[in-house]
Amino acid sequence: MPSVKSVVISCAGIGSRLGLGQTKALIKINGKSLITWQLELFKDVEDVRIVIGYQANDIIEEVLKHRNDVVFVYNHRYFETKTGASFYLGAVDAKEYVLEWDGDLLVHPDDVKKILATEGEFICYADKSSDEAVFVQTDENGDVLAFSRETGDYEWTGPACIMKRKVQYSSGNVFNQLEPYLPMKGIKVRAYDIDTYDDYKRVLEITKNW
Amino acid sequence: MSKIKFIFDLDGTITSEETLPLMAKHFNVQEEIEQLTRETIQGDIPFVESFIRRVFILGKLPVDEVASLLENVKLYPELADFIRTHKEQCVVATGNLLCWSENLLSRLGCESYCSDAIVEDNKVVKLTKILRKEVVVEKYQSEGYKVVYIGDGNNDLEAMRVADVAIAVGMTHSPSKSILPITNYLIFNEKALCRQLNQLL
Repeated sequence: MPSVKSVVISCAGIGSRLGLGQTKALIKINGKSLITWQLELFKDVEDVRIVIGYQANDIIEEVLKHRNDVVFVYNHRYFETKTGASFYLGAVDAKEYVLEWDGDLLVHPDDVKKILATEGEFICYADKSSDEAVFVQTDENGDVLAFSRETGDYEWTGPACIMKRKVQYSSGNVFNQLEPYLPMKGIKVRAYDIDTYDDYKRVLEITKNW
Repeated sequence: MSKIKFIFDLDGTITSEETLPLMAKHFNVQEEIEQLTRETIQGDIPFVESFIRRVFILGKLPVDEVASLLENVKLYPELADFIRTHKEQCVVATGNLLCWSENLLSRLGCESYCSDAIVEDNKVVKLTKILRKEVVVEKYQSEGYKVVYIGDGNNDLEAMRVADVAIAVGMTHSPSKSILPITNYLIFNEKALCRQLNQLL
């Protein structure tokens, strides 16, 4: 892990689509909270920045069980903002490069290692698994040409790594913040979003073998 | 690059032990002071009232003995090094009296703002100024500085609210709940705090 990179985990949201009554960072996946899974994957990362909003105190308490050297970043306006605002807040005082990581995203541990070892800027995507996703269009090298709500070769899941100075405040989503810098290097990963209850059940199965 | 000032609370933020309980223990007024401190940190007693009551209790004590006791208070070493290395960019804002804190502050070498009192016969006889930390923040902002404020208590609330960047710390004790709804960052570890300060430079 180059020390020039921060990881920003966005955990500010309410998790309303999932319907388990708590913020997604705290849902249990095979006995461990989602944020615990992520902290284990990032245990060698120096600057882990966790963006909090809804149920902030509960997330802080859970994180402090594992490590106390993270920087908690508040998104006080989590109710009326989206992931773009959280990413901006997490990135603005970070290291030179910022790895954006949604709090509801689980990535295969081998792919996490690959992501952390990759230098420079890139966008990660996965095989399509949802109809409501944002898709990425790629070229023959797998680099990302465009995001689209309608069609694409793969599903945009994140993470993405970009220089801090390029991260502008956005009332939209993270992919809107990346669009001005396309094309960007693409990396295909085994990544699983947990947006709905079906996603949650799927991740319970997948992670049994991790 | 824009000009930046880091303004630090002292007790529990730069010092790894709270100075008040230390003074109280040394001079055997523990019970009164601990009760007052607890209620102040929780925000149950307004800071100014608490401070006046504190000075009333402690002002009878020999000033030179208080100052030399505080001089040897433990500091967070890496944070103190950051302040000494960047002393032009660092400022301490403490509600404590200058006459009690000046020896301790001289170990850091940066500018500082304190409350003030008239001292006669080695005793505090009259409180003359209670520091409002937000005034210090506004002073530097009016001079064109981007101000980062680092603190942990209810008496840091207004300063954190007006600062450009507010960092709540929970290193010596949990941060006051009152500052969490207005802070930008919350940090529990000295190394992480120093990393964040360096990233703000």
